[in-house]
Amino acid sequence: MLKLQQVSKTYGNKNIKAVDNISFEVNPGEIFGFVGPNGAGKTTTIKMMVSLLKPDTGKIFINGIDNQENILEAKKQFSYVPDNPELFEKIKGLEYLKFMADVYEVPTTERQKLIEKYLDIFEIKEAVNDPIGSYSHGMKQKLALVGALIHNPEVFILDEPMVGLDPKASFELKKIMREHCDQGKSVFFSTHVLDVAEKICDRIAIINKGKIIEVGTMDEIRAKAGSHESLENIFLELTE
Amino acid sequence: MKELINLTKLFINDSLGLSLFFYNRTNNKKEFSKQLFTLIIVPIALIPAFFFYVFFMIALYTGLKVIDQTSVFLSAGYIFISFLIIVFGIMYILSVFYFSKNTEELISLPITPRKIIISKFASILIFEYAFAALLFVPVLIIYGVGEGMGLGYAILALVVLLTLPLLPLSLETALIMLIMRSSRVKGRKDFLQIIFVFLAIALVIGVQFWFGTQVSSSAEVDFQILLNSLLTNNESLLNSIGYFFPSSFLVAWGLNRLTLMSVVWIFSLVLITTLSFGFMVFIGERFYFTSLVSGKIARKGRTLSGIERGKFLGKKGHGAMAIFSMDMRLLLRTPVYFFNNVSVVIIVPLVLLVSLSFAELSPENINGVREFYREMPMVINFMFIGFFVFFGGTSATTATTFSREGKASWLTRIVPVSASDQIIGRTASALIVQSLGILCTLIGVYFFMPLTLTTVLLTVIMGLIGSLPILLFGLFIDMNRPLLDWDNPQKAVKNNMNVMITLFIGMFYVVMLIAICGALGYFVNQWVSYAVYIIVSLIITIAFYKKINKDLEKRLLAF
Repeated sequence: MLKLQQVSKTYGNKNIKAVDNISFEVNPGEIFGFVGPNGAGKTTTIKMMVSLLKPDTGKIFINGIDNQENILEAKKQFSYVPDNPELFEKIKGLEYLKFMADVYEVPTTERQKLIEKYLDIFEIKEAVNDPIGSYSHGMKQKLALVGALIHNPEVFILDEPMVGLDPKASFELKKIMREHCDQGKSVFFSTHVLDVAEKICDRIAIINKGKIIEVGTMDEIRAKAGSHESLENIFLELTE
Repeated sequence: MKELINLTKLFINDSLGLSLFFYNRTNNKKEFSKQLFTLIIVPIALIPAFFFYVFFMIALYTGLKVIDQTSVFLSAGYIFISFLIIVFGIMYILSVFYFSKNTEELISLPITPRKIIISKFASILIFEYAFAALLFVPVLIIYGVGEGMGLGYAILALVVLLTLPLLPLSLETALIMLIMRSSRVKGRKDFLQIIFVFLAIALVIGVQFWFGTQVSSSAEVDFQILLNSLLTNNESLLNSIGYFFPSSFLVAWGLNRLTLMSVVWIFSLVLITTLSFGFMVFIGERFYFTSLVSGKIARKGRTLSGIERGKFLGKKGHGAMAIFSMDMRLLLRTPVYFFNNVSVVIIVPLVLLVSLSFAELSPENINGVREFYREMPMVINFMFIGFFVFFGGTSATTATTFSREGKASWLTRIVPVSASDQIIGRTASALIVQSLGILCTLIGVYFFMPLTLTTVLLTVIMGLIGSLPILLFGLFIDMNRPLLDWDNPQKAVKNNMNVMITLFIGMFYVVMLIAICGALGYFVNQWVSYAVYIIVSLIITIAFYKKINKDLEKRLLAF
């Protein structure tokens, strides 16, 4: 469903690679966690997946579509919520959602049903007629989530989705992620909250200094590490 | 004091992006060379204007010397420069104190509000000193050399220069802070910012008209005599303006003739300036931070019912329409964008209308123009076409279309909207802005010269078609060098070289096209000229459309 093949990215004139020849695959029906220390290359990798950055080398396939060759079709396959969703401050919440529904061609019959459903779940119905500039960080995150969910994407890509969300919204998001995968679709998300990754992810990749140092299910990672410890301990050992 | 200097440095660094500039020098050579080019080309471009200004001032002084009226020279220069500082200061003060987000980051730090206010003000002042020195030093030197002044004059002149931007800016900042804290303003700050800017423009236009009426009433006279009559015949007017700038009297009394009293007058000026600065800090401490915090409470919309939400979400819309709606909303709701991209199409026709009203055209003149229009409609038609295309070039709507989105551009870059829909949506918003200018012009002109339906249709259609190459060129430039890394929307348009590039190249193109087509119309046939104009415009439009359509999706990956 999501496939990275030998992807690399270097910034500016520096010879240090932000992402260094990484490859992995996310299967249908899978929640895939992406963990790593600050500056490890998580956000750069995600930006390349969602067509915000061009890899220097390598290929990225989303639902079988090359996101560098067939850019528009690839964009239709995923939704993305960044770690700090900068949205147009002068636009009202509902105007933003209509924009998203229009550009993702959500049918008239479905758009209102889905928007009402997610507005209820994230409890921002009262605020949708207000300018986004008046929203808190958490509310912006919730609005970005609603906007990303209304076209029921094949691949749901999230960068640090739990940051800024209240406990209830965080709980609801985890539920939505699982339900999404139960439909045979995929979720890819980066996080620093290793407990969450351990509990909800079907598979996990650990990235450090631009390289994937481990990928697999929790059991596989434990087996390779030769311990029965938590992801947190394994992570600390691997990234030291 | 050290903290004040550090804070001021921080604000200047933040507003100019110095750290990023030096970072790019070692880490991103391509970006660095772009920034360096801008840094070099802008001052070079301003050199001719500076020499023209110095020449103008020398001419003014020489003229005044002939009629023994040099006493008004310094105060006239002082008033003129103070006026410019006030006009340009409005956007600058709003930008530093209200648009910039860095204050919010500093509020929670253990820094006294007074230091933040003074540092912010100092960051404005440094640039205003450079501006004031550039304009006022030639005035001081011309007068000093002309009158054979000595060291005492030089010292007092330096003191006057030091007070020049400080006094008007202090009072202006205090006034803006007082207005922005008003309870009625809460939630309407965007609207108020637009009003501020329109007021500033009204002020500039007012002065231009005053100057214009003086020029028109003294037609066909020598340039120096004209300047002299402007000042001497309007001594009372100069005095009236002086009352708005009472400090100009102190400058004149202090510097025109050096006596012991000069020191007293200049000391009074320093005292008034210091008090004004103190007043600004006092007002800032009282009201700036409270208004800033309350200003975060944006005007809320009422809660909508499910039916209302459903009605709004409506039917499935087209991608181009979605891009267009978003672009238009941003243009109309962001004061800086509204002012830079939209207001020109309202102001320019308004200026045209008012100047025609002031011109006091005699019935013979009007009939002469109408007769000319009947005889040579093509000339008038091309004049209107040129004017309409001017709106396309100057509004710079497409030349900043991606830049205006700033850090939120990730959204329009990841959504699956085809390049053609992006082009149509973004160009359509520019065409709507331009059409507004065309409509305002046609309404204005209607009162002076009824145009035939053929002229109206021809000029509107050709005006829109002729501006398409410029609009698409703007889009092409902004697609290739968007300015996205800003924390203040002002930078997206004011610091954006794409605007200047599009404006210069666009205007050059249209002048050439109209000149060639006009010549064709004069020597061959007017309909041939219209046809050539349309064909050339369409060919360039199609060429740019194809180029952008081919490259845009890939360019969006590399912003």
